Amino acid sequence: MTETQVAENPLLEGLGPRRTPEPCVLVIFGASGDLTRRKIFPALYALAYRRLLPERFAVVGAARSDLSDDEYRDRMEHAVREFGRDDFEQEVWDGLADATRYVSMDFANESREDKLSDLLTELDEGRGTRGNRVYYLAVPPQAMPTIVRELGERRKTEGWTRLIVEKPFGHDLASARELTGLIGGSFAEEEVFRIDHYLGKETVQNMLALRFANGIFEPIWSRQFIDHIQITVAETLGVEGRAAYYEQAGAIRDIFQNHMLQLVALTAMEPPIDFTADSVRNEKVKVLKAMRTPGPKNVVRGQYGPGFVEGTEAPGYRDEDDVDPQSMIETYVAAKLFVDNWRWADTPIYVRTGKSLARRETTIAIQFQRAPHPPFEDSATEELQPNLLLVHVQPDEGVSLAIGAKVPGQGMRIRTVHMDFMYGGAFRVELPDAYERLILDAMLGDQTLFTRSDEVEEQWSIVDAIVAGWARDRPAFPNYAAGTWGPAAADELIQRDGREWLRH
Amino acid sequence: MAPALSTTHVHAEEWSGEDVGVGDVVTELCRLRDESAHETEGPDLRTSVMTHLAWVPPEWEDAALETLAGLEERHPSRGILLFPRPDAEDGMDAKISVLAFPLREQRRHIAAEVIELRLRGRSCQAPASIVNPLLVPALPVFLRWRGRPQFGERNVDQLVEVCDRLIVDSREWPDVPDAYGELPFESTACSDIAWRRTERWRRCLARMWPGIAELGTLRVEGPVAEASLLAGWLRSRLEREVELEHDDSEELVAVDVDGTACPVPRGHPTSSELLSAELDEFSRDRVYEAASRAAAR
Repeated sequence: MTETQVAENPLLEGLGPRRTPEPCVLVIFGASGDLTRRKIFPALYALAYRRLLPERFAVVGAARSDLSDDEYRDRMEHAVREFGRDDFEQEVWDGLADATRYVSMDFANESREDKLSDLLTELDEGRGTRGNRVYYLAVPPQAMPTIVRELGERRKTEGWTRLIVEKPFGHDLASARELTGLIGGSFAEEEVFRIDHYLGKETVQNMLALRFANGIFEPIWSRQFIDHIQITVAETLGVEGRAAYYEQAGAIRDIFQNHMLQLVALTAMEPPIDFTADSVRNEKVKVLKAMRTPGPKNVVRGQYGPGFVEGTEAPGYRDEDDVDPQSMIETYVAAKLFVDNWRWADTPIYVRTGKSLARRETTIAIQFQRAPHPPFEDSATEELQPNLLLVHVQPDEGVSLAIGAKVPGQGMRIRTVHMDFMYGGAFRVELPDAYERLILDAMLGDQTLFTRSDEVEEQWSIVDAIVAGWARDRPAFPNYAAGTWGPAAADELIQRDGREWLRH
Repeated sequence: MAPALSTTHVHAEEWSGEDVGVGDVVTELCRLRDESAHETEGPDLRTSVMTHLAWVPPEWEDAALETLAGLEERHPSRGILLFPRPDAEDGMDAKISVLAFPLREQRRHIAAEVIELRLRGRSCQAPASIVNPLLVPALPVFLRWRGRPQFGERNVDQLVEVCDRLIVDSREWPDVPDAYGELPFESTACSDIAWRRTERWRRCLARMWPGIAELGTLRVEGPVAEASLLAGWLRSRLEREVELEHDDSEELVAVDVDGTACPVPRGHPTSSELLSAELDEFSRDRVYEAASRAAAR
């Protein structure tokens, strides 16, 4: 509770903030889609299970499919049973199902919009949701303009409105600005919640805790003590039915523009003055502004050919369904980035992301400089690596610190050992899914873990410059086999500097 | 998603001994850890956030074990359970369990340690000397005292001195509200699970502001501990006399403010959840201190 609230009501002292949102209706556009089934409804169930949803609450699913309320509830019950992380409790589900309604609508059809408006008014009266709305746009980019315009035109003065927007936020800087302008015509920036689900992950947030809650790291978190940083976002999956989207996006728009640059920003940002949304986002934007546009020599792209992933034969990208057999879309990007500021000048940040790689993992590795003069014989330390701080974002969320330790026995022999803090080991509970955190934050109006429009634009500026450089050459794709760690050129990118990609 | 624990294939290394010393316990604990690490595939990880001490008189043994069973997921700790038998022959019996929970789809295990000590005879008078060598260094110590602690007695004072936070449940006390006056707020931070049970009701009552500011009579149907604490809380926060009308009941079921019913809050936390919430608190709870003092008036 704030001091003002306590001064106004002395009974609030000591009760602490409770993360229960005000009454509201959550309207999901794209309610019959995969995201709703796999992520949004299981997240709503998890919130209901923990009594974190408001007492007066309703969910409205809106999609083209012609379904009754009961049919939609049945589908979502199956989704929760299949993808939910908690035990299925009938009482919890019944409460959520009772609050769930469905509207079959074509987004371009005005009469259907009226049907939605009528339903929302009915819910306000029946469930006491006070005109408060959270609109979740889980729809393809091309459907977004119509919905945003319609919602803007039908805004009510009663209650608050929040708009959750799923990525992609545009295709390049120009389209991102266009989308921002479109949304800005009807919604204030404080009402817009652009989801990058990486920011909802516990370990990504733990990066902030690790850096700013521990006095031992921040003093050495700079070019003086850090040799370089490596960030890996590796997937073992191929395009898996997303070819239509991926053929337009590629690795640079699918991962690099958003998740990768978020991880770079969180790793390199200065300490915010507080943990409010704008303080955190201001610092992230400063990193993006300070990032030097990587030249062609510092960027490698690749595309996977046939190979074996986890022991199973895997097709090449061009052999996947709905992919152009001559496709020049990249499924892999590696880059050497520099943040030109006082803290990071000349400290390389090597990043790589790709599909059909050797292992699924997202890791931030902080490689410290070697001890200046170990007073041991060379043979004693030949297996000793420089200290390394590994932040495992997925799949084994946690932090590892590599240190040199004496091998037990006669003589002095030193080798590298890892001290692991694994979330699954310390707090022995399953971590909440990112969508639980983000949906709840949006209902609460907390934008800290959402991307601001200027952040998106800075990301696109970097990506546009890289893509412009690619227009001048035509690489020999495919250039890496599925199930490997990417093209040889990516190894050369880092080996030129006398370093190696880490095998985590 | 973080690898969850599989509870179906828990590897347990156990040791028990009669008439043992603390040195034996330390030695056996190290040995069991070593054996567990060798007998399970992959290393055992130990990550603790505290030492969890519990003083458990015989009549509370079953309830204590049931509550503790739901705790380890959220509060990885070394658990030290003290079972006092002051009338038995002098000595100490011990049982140590080193449990290795396999992480799903991983070769690693998570180790948990539970030390059960049966203190017999005069050893009940020196619990701190037994506990001190067993605490996890440099981490907070939470002491859950089952039943009514006799503040001022040697065993209580010793353990209060050792701990960073004392957790009681005044619903287990036969002499509330007078007993609240004995809580050792000057020596250590204190938590009361009965107070935690009132939290949902306090939130509802806070929503009755500002109408509740002129409150004269509070009627509570529930255990005397919770009723007294709610009245004490309102007296201390509103800085006015509040008369309490109390109807005894096993659970807190109804609260009236000058004849107006307070809306019944949602949910019903389990005993593990209540204790878990207390283990998340580290600083003194000044609001509780004021409420319990006002309840004792």
